[in-house]
Amino acid sequence: MQLSDRITGGMLVALGAASAWSGSLLPAVPGQDVGPAAFPMIIGFGLMGCGALIAIGIGRSFEVDDLDEPAPKTGPLSGLRVLIPPALLLFYALAADTLGFLPTAAIMVLLGAKALGAKWPLAISMAIIGPVLVHLAFYKLLRVPLPPGLLPAPW
Amino acid sequence: MDAVIEGFRLVAEPDVLIAIFLSAIYGLVVGSLPGLSATMATALLVPVTFWLSPIAAIATIITASAMAIFSGDIPGALLRIPGTPASAAYTDEAYAMTRKGQAELALGAGLWFSAIGGIVGTLSLMLLAPALAEIALSFSTYEYFWLAFLGLMCATLVARSSPIKAIASMLLGLLISCIGMENPAGTPRFTFGIPDLLGGIEPIPALVGVFAVSEVMRAMATAEPPKLPDRKFGSILANQWMLTKKYQWPMWRGNFVGIIIGVLPGAGADMAAWVSYAMSKRFSKEPEKFGTGHPEGLVEAGASNNASLASGWVPSLLFGIPGDTITAIAIGVLYMKGLNPGPTLFTERASSMYALYIIFILANIIMIPLGIVMIRLASRVLRAPRSSVMPLILLLCAVGSFATGSNVFSVMLVGVFGCLGYAMEKNGYPVAALVLGIVMGSMVETNFITSLIKSDGDVLPFFERPVSSILAGLTFAALLWPLGAWAWARFPGRRRRTAAAAE
Repeated sequence: MQLSDRITGGMLVALGAASAWSGSLLPAVPGQDVGPAAFPMIIGFGLMGCGALIAIGIGRSFEVDDLDEPAPKTGPLSGLRVLIPPALLLFYALAADTLGFLPTAAIMVLLGAKALGAKWPLAISMAIIGPVLVHLAFYKLLRVPLPPGLLPAPW
Repeated sequence: MDAVIEGFRLVAEPDVLIAIFLSAIYGLVVGSLPGLSATMATALLVPVTFWLSPIAAIATIITASAMAIFSGDIPGALLRIPGTPASAAYTDEAYAMTRKGQAELALGAGLWFSAIGGIVGTLSLMLLAPALAEIALSFSTYEYFWLAFLGLMCATLVARSSPIKAIASMLLGLLISCIGMENPAGTPRFTFGIPDLLGGIEPIPALVGVFAVSEVMRAMATAEPPKLPDRKFGSILANQWMLTKKYQWPMWRGNFVGIIIGVLPGAGADMAAWVSYAMSKRFSKEPEKFGTGHPEGLVEAGASNNASLASGWVPSLLFGIPGDTITAIAIGVLYMKGLNPGPTLFTERASSMYALYIIFILANIIMIPLGIVMIRLASRVLRAPRSSVMPLILLLCAVGSFATGSNVFSVMLVGVFGCLGYAMEKNGYPVAALVLGIVMGSMVETNFITSLIKSDGDVLPFFERPVSSILAGLTFAALLWPLGAWAWARFPGRRRRTAAAAE
């Protein structure tokens, strides 16, 4: 995910231009000089300016490298591993209503633990204990509605 | 006086005391785990606060954040991995002390001076906030606009990264805050036809995504940190009194700097620690000892980051402008619990304010015994494998964001913000500035647009009132300082001459 400043700066310029342009299309409030368009347009121009400065490399001298970036994991597809957590969240959002909280959460914890290199016994016991504890805390104690789905909790 | 007694009564309720105790343990454990910051600990607490009484809700946030800022020092000293970003400034120093066999002294200093900093910071909150409330009563939209803008500019100074990238992050946050129809005109903006976006982006899913999910993502890409060897500790607090007497001045300077940085809207504990550590080195009689395991910087910066935590509540309580990312969360909770920030809070809800001060003091006092227990158990807690902690954090993100938004859309939003936070962090864009932009966006816009409407599009009234002109000056100073620093670095001749003059 490490991109050059040129690319991120360019992306910001594009985003700023898009926001200024679509901001300018917003309908004005009759009888007033400043309406909903003003703020997005100011931000848009600001973003374009910052993006341009970043792209040409101004301000780089202020950046401090982290003391000790932990060693990255190597291996095929290691770059894609970082997308596992958002993918699991997406899975939760899509599956929780039909599968129910307990199975969905168990799958999520199991896959997450395996992805981080847990051994099977640890991953499975985590996947059983974790969701039950979270369900007890949120459903019983805090009364957050959690979807029952296929496997409703016995309490 | 009645209000004080009422404040004590509010804190003495059993649910408040239990909340303080449990959130203290939670804060200590989460803060000590590398990668899990104090802000994340607080953000994950928000759904829990829904079901607590107002005082208990605030108590959990105050206690958990104070504990997490201290306990971030533990892995810093033992593993050279800061538990929270606020400990990063002096991690090398603390680790050097551990290698010299002074782990007890380093950890004890972290604990002792954190507690002192927290208490001194609380005293400043008690003195400053009611005094400033008097002035704040006369503030109009112009002052509020400048204050919010100043807060945003300070947030860009926090990061040790390119100020332009920080400003870009902040603008991105402001742009995200434009989404929805919660603007002065009530026009739906940037909703792309998605009904869930009409209500705007709530700060909590954004915070949880940026601070928690992105951390789980980072864990996926990096190797597991080293395990802590089992270790027996001697007395933790021995010699701390000696350090207090020896480094009395640095300690007070640390407290003072922490308070000032905390009061500044937008700048928090991380910045306080970096500034104080640098100041300690600059003004020390023995600067050559820094970096070799010298406690002086630890004393000053350890006091400073906890002092800033308490004084960060000053702008939050008075103006609803967050002092840092932790109080950005706290403001949301204050609104939810009917304690709307504003100068009248100190007159109308005085007993609640006294309760808040008492909780702060109490949290910093119980920090010492609980912190000692935590240090002694640290090798056990830190041995919990990351592969068991991170999936649970992810599950809590999902459940917590579902609880705040009551729809699956906010769960997806958390995932999106996780990716955004991860990508930004990787490329040197500070995420704290993004978050403060999101939190303060609608406030900046409302005050800016209403001021412009009041003045008929004229910008002069923004500078005419005395307080607003001072705030405007401060804001422009914050905006222009990178330029000054750059120019300073560009003219080596001048710098050499000043260096010669200084010698």
